Formats: sequence, C-alpha cells, structure tokens
Amino acid sequence: MNDNRPILNVWGAEHTYRSRRYLKGVDLTLRAGEIYALLGPAGAGKATLVQAICGRIPLSAGDIALVGQNPRETPISRSALGLVPHAMALYDHMTVRENLLTFGRMAGVHGRTLRDAVRQAMHVTRIADYEREPVGRLSDGEQRRVNIACAILHSPRLLILDEPSVGADPVAREALDGAVRDLRDGGMAILMATGDLDLAGELADRVGFMREGRKVLEGAPRQLITQAFGEEMEILVQLDEDPDGDDMVVLAAAGLERRDRTNIWTTLDAGAYATAARLDRDLRQMGVVPREIRVRQPSLANLFNMVADWQQAA
Amino acid sequence: MIFAMFRVMLLGLLRDRFALAATFLLPPLVFVIFVTVFAGASGEAVRLRLAVADQADSTSSRRLVAALFAEPQLRAQPNRSGNTVDAVREEVRAGRVDAGLVMLSDPAGAGAPFLLITDPTRAMAAPLIESHVQNALAVHVPGIDVGRPRALFLHDPISGAKKGKGMVIYYAGAVTMLFALFSALYGALSLIEERNAGIADRILAGPAGLAPAIGGKFLFIVLQGLLQAGSIFLVAQLLYGAPVKARLLFWLITSGAAATCAAGLAMGLVAFCRNRDQAQLIGVCLFLMLAVIGGAMAPSFTMPPWLQAVGLLTPHAWVIDTYQAVLWRDAGWRSVYPAWGVLTGLGLAGLMLAYVTVRRVRR
Repeated sequence: MNDNRPILNVWGAEHTYRSRRYLKGVDLTLRAGEIYALLGPAGAGKATLVQAICGRIPLSAGDIALVGQNPRETPISRSALGLVPHAMALYDHMTVRENLLTFGRMAGVHGRTLRDAVRQAMHVTRIADYEREPVGRLSDGEQRRVNIACAILHSPRLLILDEPSVGADPVAREALDGAVRDLRDGGMAILMATGDLDLAGELADRVGFMREGRKVLEGAPRQLITQAFGEEMEILVQLDEDPDGDDMVVLAAAGLERRDRTNIWTTLDAGAYATAARLDRDLRQMGVVPREIRVRQPSLANLFNMVADWQQAA
Repeated sequence: MIFAMFRVMLLGLLRDRFALAATFLLPPLVFVIFVTVFAGASGEAVRLRLAVADQADSTSSRRLVAALFAEPQLRAQPNRSGNTVDAVREEVRAGRVDAGLVMLSDPAGAGAPFLLITDPTRAMAAPLIESHVQNALAVHVPGIDVGRPRALFLHDPISGAKKGKGMVIYYAGAVTMLFALFSALYGALSLIEERNAGIADRILAGPAGLAPAIGGKFLFIVLQGLLQAGSIFLVAQLLYGAPVKARLLFWLITSGAAATCAAGLAMGLVAFCRNRDQAQLIGVCLFLMLAVIGGAMAPSFTMPPWLQAVGLLTPHAWVIDTYQAVLWRDAGWRSVYPAWGVLTGLGLAGLMLAYVTVRRVRR
C-alpha cells in the first residue's frame, strides 16, 4: 500500500508567538502506510507542530503541504486529515454509535457511506461490542478507541494521534496498538505525538525527537538505537532495599547509576552479560540478593535520555 | 497549615480578575441598580410622561397647563399630534406617553373638567397624575376649591381589550426574554465543554471548520427559545385571553427575534469565558441586571428617566415593548420592524463574536 509521494511535508516550520519561538525550523515528511512518532518532553513543540499541520496556527517561516496543499490556506485539504485529540473529544451522554454518526456527519460523510464507515471504524478499533453503550460508561481505554474511531470515518489519509495511550490499561493498550497497526496497514499515514516511548518503540516506523522547538534526531527506532549504542546492552538491577556504602561501591564500579529515586540501577555496557554475572556474584557475596538483574536491548527511553543529556551539555 | 491554605485561597482570588470583580464590584453594583429600580433611593422620583390637550383654553386651564409643564416630577408636554381626544388616545396607545390629560372644560366650571386617558399596563400612572393635577390646581389656580367633593376626572382606559390584558402581555414578554437568556446560557455552556474536551479541536481540524457546528448550536438554541416563548404565550392566550392567535405572524417574528437575540448574546458571552463556573456566574448576574434595568421585573415607567434611557440598551426593553406593540397596541409592520432588526442584529453580532472567539487558538 506504500505510496512514494508524501502525504505530509513540513519544510523549515517556524512559529513565533509573543516573541517566544515555539518551532525553530522543523522538517518532516510522512508517507502513506507509515507510523511516525513525534517524541519529546512537554513544551518541546509537538503540540504546536500538530496545530500547524491542522492549519490552526500560521507559520512565521517555512511551509506545510498536506496532500500537496497548505492546510491553512486550502481548508478542503484538511479532509485528508483526521485528528484524535489528547482529551476524549466525545459526547458522554451519547452512545458510541451516536457519537460516530455525529462526527461522521461533521466530517461530511452521510447516508449509506456513513453507516458503512461507522461499521468499519468500529471493527478496526474493536469497539463494536459497545455500540449502544453511552460513552460516559466506558473505561478510559475503550473511550480512547472510540476517540480514534471518530477520527477515521471520512477515511483520512493522515491520522494524527495526540497522546493516544494515556489512561489505557494493558488490555486496552493491546487493542489500541492493534487498531493503529491495522490503520497503517490499510495505507493510512499516522503521526503520533506522544511521550510514551514504549508505544513509539513498538509501533513507529520512524521517530523524531523534539526539544525546545527543534527536531534533534530522526530515524527508524532500531536503527537509531543501534547507531547510538552499537553493541551495548542495558543492564538493569533492582534491589529490595537501599544499598549501603559497600554495595554502592560495587554498583558504581560496574558503572550503574540510580534511576531517579528508585531502587533501580542501570547502565549500558558492551559486555553486559559478563558484567551482570559479576555483579550478581559480588552482591551475593556481600549478602545482598537482587530482586532482579536484567540484560536487555537499549530502548527509545535510553536514546531519549541521551538526547536530553546532549541538550543539557549544549 | 491554616495560614498556608488561607494564602492559597487569597492568591486564587487575587489572581482571578473575574472572581475579584464578582466578589467586590458586582454586589454593590447590583445593590445600586436594585435600589434605584425598586425603591427610587437615588433621589429621583418617578417622572411620568403626560400628554396634555387643552380644549377648554380658559385662563384657569392655561394656568394649570403651565403649572403641569413646570412640575419637575412630571414630563408633561402638549400632545404632539393634536388637541383631540382621539389624538391623545393614540399617543397613549402607542406607548409614547404614560398617560394623556384632556381639559374638556374650564376647571373652575361645573362638571368633570378632565378626561384622563390611561394605559391599563401602567395602572399606577392614573392616581399619580390625579394627585399632581389636584396639587397644581390648589397651588396655581386660585378660586377653585379642590377640597369640595366633586368628580374632577373622567377616566378612559385605552382599549377595547379587557382590563389587565396589557399587563399579561407585558409580563409574558418579560418572562420570555428572561428565560430565553437563561436557557440560551445553559445551552451555550456546551461551547466551553466542547473546548475542554477537545471536540472543538477535532472539528476545527476538519475541512468545514467550526462554522457549521456553531451554526447548528445557534439554531437549536433559537428554536428552544421560540418553543419556550410559545409555551408562555399559549398559557397567556388560554388563561388570560392574550390575542396571540389573532396576531400569530407578528408574535412569531417577535419571538423569533427575541430567541435569536438571546442565543447570540449567550453564545458570545460564553465564548469569552475561560470556564463553566465563570460563564455561569457572569451570565446569571449580567442577565439578571439586564432584566431589572430593562423592566422585566418592575415596569420601566416607574424608573427614573435616566434608567429608562439605559433600559433601552437592554434586549428586555425592546422585547417587552415589541410584544406590547404587536399584541396590545395592534401596531403594524412599520412600527415594529426596527425592533425586530435590533434584536436580530444583536443576536447575529453575538453569534459572530462566539465564532471568532472560539476559533482563536488558546495557548
């Protein structure tokens, strides 16, 4: 289903509001059948970029083309866009089906086409069982999927998901992942603005890290991780109690650093398996039995932390 | 702990300009308005508008007319459309004056020299004017013994219609506008809910933008107001004989204009507010004040002239006057189309304001 022509092109997007620069020359290209995750901390510029793509705010410099047209200057081009807002943009007092019919009509879909679109959207997002339930009675995870269903009724070519996984429990998350994959496989281009690095790692074909209005890194997750960390693996040690002075020496000698204020210690190491075995032995000799020692591939979270460190150093 | 929470509350109040205004400015403002309207505590007495026609044209009648014109508590003037009873009656019927006084014969002569033409919707005007005339006679027209038992006044309530119907229409109009605004406010609050829920963002991202959604909401609120007016005037017709059926088209257009005005004002107001609580507080206070000033709670002719002038800036005054014009005074198109235009224009201006405000990106 992949089409070589980009659905979305952003060239050097800049946005300044009241002398503050929210976007500083962001480029972005997204093609059909691709999931792109826009990552970054709060205030990085993700939401501003999404608003610009939706045609809500003007750019101070640069340009945006959605299916070849500027979405702000040519509103009709926005029919190629489906937005899933961060909040549950649904009418609580109406049933799932009523919500879908309402938003479908607002998107310009009517009659038999709308009924078919509603059926298809409920199938893809796995919400057909709740068709007649008032939305207010559904769990957060179920509402998240209804939120997505309402955005795809007009078969947009680009679907923008703003923090889609917030409030989703593991079961709901699995259903959400499946729905997003199905939409991608159906040829839709998907742009996710999220702080959920696990979600991005699992779903995204490409990710872009944003920080202070700039896109600082972009690429396929696995490729970026390999480039950044090479042969290194992550060692994760979890202890039951706070380590004393001698334990700290052992952990520090292996290069482990405490993660925030938890009893979890991590490091990246090219000889991770040997280091982990040595750590286990040394800690046990000192009478400390770790709850868990794990060796795993570095994730986007490691990359994210690395990017943050670069920025701080800069 | 106590001080910490006290400080939280204090900062919350100081940093919310609307809450500050609602707490410290609004109450004295409402107090002043209520006192002015209901108790005349501003020092200005009721100043009725009186049309005078002197058919007697005697020395005594001319003195009396001069005295009435000079009376500070009256706004007396010669009847502008002529000296006949019919001409005075027409002025009263059109609502241009509160009452009309025709001097049929010399006040010093025998019989009842005065014909007092009154509008039953302004029932308290008659005794007030009688009292002013008697006072003027006693002070300015020597030789007349006002203490002598004698019927000075003949009464002519304008009409055809049974007494009290005009008042029914007055209050039906007042209640219609009062509730049209409150219902519209409640309906318009969904603008804030939709903004908070991200529904506005979703709609704005679509090709049609927000116009159809705002338009649909506006139409619903207008229709709701129209049906609400229908229920009020149905009762007015069935229980009190208000002639709604006989003037159905006029009533329909007036009610449509009133509902349009209410819908637009409420949507414009709500679009400006940051949250539901703020919109409710401001909306309720503002609409209550407009109702009081506009004569929806006490007839505006009992208010000081300056407040009557201010009242003309409220939709309530226009709505009440228009309902009275079409159902009580049997006014024609030419008399009421400016009012329909003003009400509809206000509503559409509010709608535009709501559209522009909601469309704006909020950071």
